[in-house]
Amino acid sequence: MTATVPKKKKSGQSYIWYLFLLPTIVGIVLFILYPVYESFRLSFFRSSGASETWVALSNYERVLTSSSFWNSVYNTFYIAFFQLLIAIPLGFIIASFINSITRFQNFFKSVFFLPHVTSMVAAAMIFSFVLHPEMGLFNYFLDSLGLPTSSWLSHPDSSKGGVVLLTVWHWLGFVIIICLANLQAISSELYEAADIDGASGLQKWFFITIPNMGGTFAFLLVIGWIAGLQRFNEVFVFGGASGSPSRSLQTMVLFIYERGFSGFEFGIASAATVILFIIILVLTLINLRLARVRM
Amino acid sequence: MHKRWMRKVGMVGAVAALTLAACNGEEDAGSGDDATGNGESSSSGDADTLRVALIGGYEMSSTTDPITGETVEGLEVIKDEFESQNPDIEVEFIVMPWSNHVANTQAMMSSGEADIYQMPGINDFAAQGMLEPLQPLIDEDGFDLDVYIDNQVEGWLTQGPDDDDLAIYGLPAFGDSRFVAYDGQLFEEWGVEPLSDYPDMEEILEKAEQMTGENPVTGEQNYGAWFSGEHSTLFQLVNAAEGQNRQWGEGYEWSEIEFAFNSDEMVTGLEWLVDINEFTPDGNMSAQGNEQWMTENNNIAIRLHAESAEIIQQVQAQGLEDRIHVVQEFKNDEGIGGMFAGSPLSIAADSENQDIAFEFLKFTASDFFQEFMWEQHSGVPVVEAASDWASIQELELMEGVLEAAANPWTPRYPWSSSQPRYILQTAVEDALTGGTDAEDALENAQAESEQWLEDR
Repeated sequence: MTATVPKKKKSGQSYIWYLFLLPTIVGIVLFILYPVYESFRLSFFRSSGASETWVALSNYERVLTSSSFWNSVYNTFYIAFFQLLIAIPLGFIIASFINSITRFQNFFKSVFFLPHVTSMVAAAMIFSFVLHPEMGLFNYFLDSLGLPTSSWLSHPDSSKGGVVLLTVWHWLGFVIIICLANLQAISSELYEAADIDGASGLQKWFFITIPNMGGTFAFLLVIGWIAGLQRFNEVFVFGGASGSPSRSLQTMVLFIYERGFSGFEFGIASAATVILFIIILVLTLINLRLARVRM
Repeated sequence: MHKRWMRKVGMVGAVAALTLAACNGEEDAGSGDDATGNGESSSSGDADTLRVALIGGYEMSSTTDPITGETVEGLEVIKDEFESQNPDIEVEFIVMPWSNHVANTQAMMSSGEADIYQMPGINDFAAQGMLEPLQPLIDEDGFDLDVYIDNQVEGWLTQGPDDDDLAIYGLPAFGDSRFVAYDGQLFEEWGVEPLSDYPDMEEILEKAEQMTGENPVTGEQNYGAWFSGEHSTLFQLVNAAEGQNRQWGEGYEWSEIEFAFNSDEMVTGLEWLVDINEFTPDGNMSAQGNEQWMTENNNIAIRLHAESAEIIQQVQAQGLEDRIHVVQEFKNDEGIGGMFAGSPLSIAADSENQDIAFEFLKFTASDFFQEFMWEQHSGVPVVEAASDWASIQELELMEGVLEAAANPWTPRYPWSSSQPRYILQTAVEDALTGGTDAEDALENAQAESEQWLEDR
């Protein structure tokens, strides 16, 4: 008898908490799951928003044979790859320096993190002036060092470089904070033991610090790739829906936007969305597998 | 225990009620916002409610212009005037921003949010059968379309899903035009003759070249021309072909359209753009380099494919009335050429208030509405009567602006909101950035556009 009473109480409690979860679940179903389903369904139709015609896999065929789609895939990967290649090592190095100093740690953390809390749209608008070919701060800096200046966003050869600069600047603070959290969690006993063995600072960094950062690097890679593959705001501000100049800034999401909202080709846009989902899924699985092997 | 259970249910109910009350409170707060004008709708008596969806930065109440510092009257003036003329009708305005307006309009139309829509993308919505054909309402009412500036109605002709010919699905309400603007002071300082009223490609290229370099009077670096290398450069190219008595192609329905993006005239036009690009600031391909345009320190002599919204308000705000002049874009032998622009108003096909909606459309052709939009929002009028207004006659360049509004290419390019637009723009950018030559770029654009037509 005494055993059954608490069981009933527990069952009632869990039911109540599901009721509290209901608004969130309804929100997820309505605003995430249903749009995902609808997008998948639309990918098999020629749809202008009001009328729909079943076209089976034709939209997928058109997307996969479109040179502008593959150009957008290239742009997306190019920008994401160089963003990660620069931001993660640079952020780790800066975090290591900040971790090694005893004063002003919080000051530097704040300074480096500030760009990350800035709106990407606002940052992109400011960067369009920073990268201005004639009056921009960056070209002024390069010129004063005697280095050749660049057209940056005005030429397809240099525009992606401009975006990489912005994204590194914007993401660096996040990398630093995440790396710092990991650095501060590494046991000091490891460094003390290395000191006794006569290891130099660089040796400790290479043989103790870096091997203990594997989990953080894996996390940053996964997060960075997913965000990189969904890139929209900054390239839209710089180059509009078609990623001007010469589609050099058109990412996959911009391709989807251009076909869906600028051209009323919702079926094509939905097919591209499904393909993007598959790419992100596969890449994330590969990243996780690689990270697990390294860890 | 039963009581405890009831108490829990009661608590959940109370939380839910509070949540709903809070949500409702937010809605109430929202409806009090003047931007939609909904706040007053609840107090209406038996009046029919007409919902009008507009695009732009309109407010219901007066605001202060951030550039001029002057008070700008809000849409409540329009609402009051229309309602005083039509006591049985109440107007509600729904204002959406220009960003994402196509997607927003599509969503609003799908859910029947409004009776009247500002409809710059009229072709796509008419083709979906979402707009009401207006000719029967015009005939029934006897409304005289001659009140509009020439070609304004023709510019918005389009086809619904069941039409064999072009038909009226929208009436012009918000005017716009494209023209060539130039700085007379720079021309004078360089000792160059002002642009003729109808310049050709050669004249513009020659004068742009003459005025690129160090200004002989001020010593400042000047540029002969500026145009944006992104987004809309293709329309300058199409206009260059029109100036050579050619056009983008022909047809209106997708099944009948034939592109001529690779015609000799288009190639010549693109080569001209490539040549003139030499006399523009470095940043024009990313819509930069024109930071001093429309200021006292202007360093650009000729602005190609200028928009009325960019020029009119700034000329007045910066006191440049004597410096900035307007001449026409390239015209064919019939005096026609240049991109048609602006916004019409259309009635939703599923509107239950089509008769009173048409009353509002007629009202937007009145001097009251048009003069309000011109004086308060610098909108280019779409009615013939505008040329007699004192406020128009005071601003010399308006003569050219209104002329440009009367003789653009009509109806507007049917592909201007579809993939061929982006294909052609990319070809222009390829040529301007040296990625390929003009002929190859346009051959690619032609092939890609034809392929797109075939696949769709």
